[in-house]
Amino acid sequence: MNHYELLLTHMGTVLHLQYLVPLLVGTIAGVIGGALPGVTITMTVIVVLPFTFGLDPLQGLAAMIGVYVGGSAGGSITASLIGIPGTPSAVATTFDGFPMTKKGEAGRSVWVGVWSAFIGGALGGLCLIELTGPFASLALAFGPWEFFSLFVFALSMVAGLVGRSVTKGLLSGAIGLAVTIIGPDPILGVQRFTMGIHPLEGGFDFLPVLIGIFAFAQLMPDVEQLNAYDPTKAVAATKLSLKVSHLSVFWDILCRPFILLWCTFIGIVIGVLPAIGGSAANIMAYDQAKKFSKRPEKFGTGIPEGIMASESSNSANVAGSLMMIMAFGIPGDAVTAVMMGALTIHGIQPGPLFISQHPKIAYGIYAAYLVALPLMVAVIWAGSRAWMRIIMMPKSMLIPIVLVLCVIGAYALSNSMKDVYVLALFCVIGYAMVKARIPLAPLILGVVLGDQIEANLIQAVSTDANPWLFITRPISGAMLAASVLSIGLAVWQHRRETKRRAAAAAEEEDTDF
Amino acid sequence: MLSRDGISGLVCLATSAVLLTQTFGLPPATVVPIGPAFYPRVVLSILGLLSVILIVLDFRAMRTASAPAAAPTAGPPPNYRLVLATFIEFGLYILLLPPLGFRIATFLFVLSLQVTLEWPRSTKHWLLAIAVAAATSLICYLVFQDYLSLLLPRGTWSNM
Repeated sequence: MNHYELLLTHMGTVLHLQYLVPLLVGTIAGVIGGALPGVTITMTVIVVLPFTFGLDPLQGLAAMIGVYVGGSAGGSITASLIGIPGTPSAVATTFDGFPMTKKGEAGRSVWVGVWSAFIGGALGGLCLIELTGPFASLALAFGPWEFFSLFVFALSMVAGLVGRSVTKGLLSGAIGLAVTIIGPDPILGVQRFTMGIHPLEGGFDFLPVLIGIFAFAQLMPDVEQLNAYDPTKAVAATKLSLKVSHLSVFWDILCRPFILLWCTFIGIVIGVLPAIGGSAANIMAYDQAKKFSKRPEKFGTGIPEGIMASESSNSANVAGSLMMIMAFGIPGDAVTAVMMGALTIHGIQPGPLFISQHPKIAYGIYAAYLVALPLMVAVIWAGSRAWMRIIMMPKSMLIPIVLVLCVIGAYALSNSMKDVYVLALFCVIGYAMVKARIPLAPLILGVVLGDQIEANLIQAVSTDANPWLFITRPISGAMLAASVLSIGLAVWQHRRETKRRAAAAAEEEDTDF
Repeated sequence: MLSRDGISGLVCLATSAVLLTQTFGLPPATVVPIGPAFYPRVVLSILGLLSVILIVLDFRAMRTASAPAAAPTAGPPPNYRLVLATFIEFGLYILLLPPLGFRIATFLFVLSLQVTLEWPRSTKHWLLAIAVAAATSLICYLVFQDYLSLLLPRGTWSNM
């Protein structure tokens, strides 16, 4: 059977109720989670995670892919209607979506976003299907030296690009790596840093750490501002009509093919780069669309180009992230990190051998992704009257329920309170990091990759004790050089930005006098 | 006085120093060229170095007289009392899960946190809060225990 025959067969499988129901439920949860301001896609996928433990791997993944695709588009609903992005990946959608709504074109604003996400996602899906195999073949040629350098590169790039301070980004990555050195060493099983505490002897499982880090870090800022939320904007938005001619919306999008294709491409590339995610993709795509536009001065006034740029890149980013996890076993962002955790619970290790060893799941992922796109459109269309009422659900009601589901997610991993205590510990650490303005993404990647970095390092040195091989082997050397370059570039960019800000502040002071 | 960057740096530096000293108690390499202490030492040294850089940068920022003052944050000040209350209630929930069991502990936690985050102003709001707490507890129990076959904690005191 060739590539597309396999895909069609698995499309048929995913359309069975057994898989379609989790996919649909995941998509609905994703759209709601994406649309609720303060509840990100990561939080939604964490909430959905415990429900997938009792399902077979593909059912669970279908639910998570539904959340991912639905959440990416759901964020644009609130961004367009009330000017508050439902997720960080919809920030740029507010720039033109909300002004368009204020001009009385709420339906056009929402549906330009949804259809752009659909088309961007479909194009991304095509790349996912076509490029994952070749990427995995490339990864098969990697030895432990190359994998070690690739993981170091991924970590250094994330640490350099996320957040305002390069030092804090790198520190966060180092904290993540430090979490993985607690427990048995990978060769002899010698206990390290357990301090005689019995539950630490197995080390920290990745999922309770991730759930803990994100649970309080994402919910507590909402708790801090709980009584400051002004619901009048949302109440006003419930009276908006989302009726629109879908043909005219399609024309709005298709008569601007360059922006659509270019921003989709940006989304895929950002998705492939580890742990950067849609929050960066939508801003970069918006910036690019503005730079290439014949009417840049109109951006921010409610034009479709701005919404298209943000939403197509945001949706295509999902495909890029999935590609990276399937080919290299490196999560593109926190959502794919949770998916990776869910796969490992079922004994499946994503990486270069994933497609050949688990073709049913690999093609199932492709198929679920492609089916999730029209489902996302259908869910948003069917619930267009209800979304604003759901978004108004009080946070005081939502937060306790989310926390209970986080506890279930941690407990269900091994039916023991140990993982719940780990969750609680990392809830405190996550919130402390948010208050210290230390980015969380590098820590998560550090926790995901830490064990693999150590295992590949030991494997490489055991194969050949010559440490120079890490530099003299071409791919490995190039990756390490790229790591140094990415940190150097991030430091240079940071310094330039600091100088620019200082100059602007000095100029402002001069004008005061 | 150090800012939050400096304090974070100090905490990380102290942690890395304590763990680094513990690596000297680990056994030497026998089977492979590098022993169980090698990789932790590299990671902890990097962590320590980055912590020192963060502390130094914080000191330098404090000394720079020309540094622009931080802009006042927009919006109302954060309500840390609610944050503290949420942490305490969450901690109590986790501690009471084994003795009370999932159903009772979850009902109490969801109800108390709802009431803490937004005090119900009428009987209707109280009833709604109780209904949400009961529904969360029972629906989660039924879905996970009966449908997804995941065992949830059973109370040692309550036997529920």
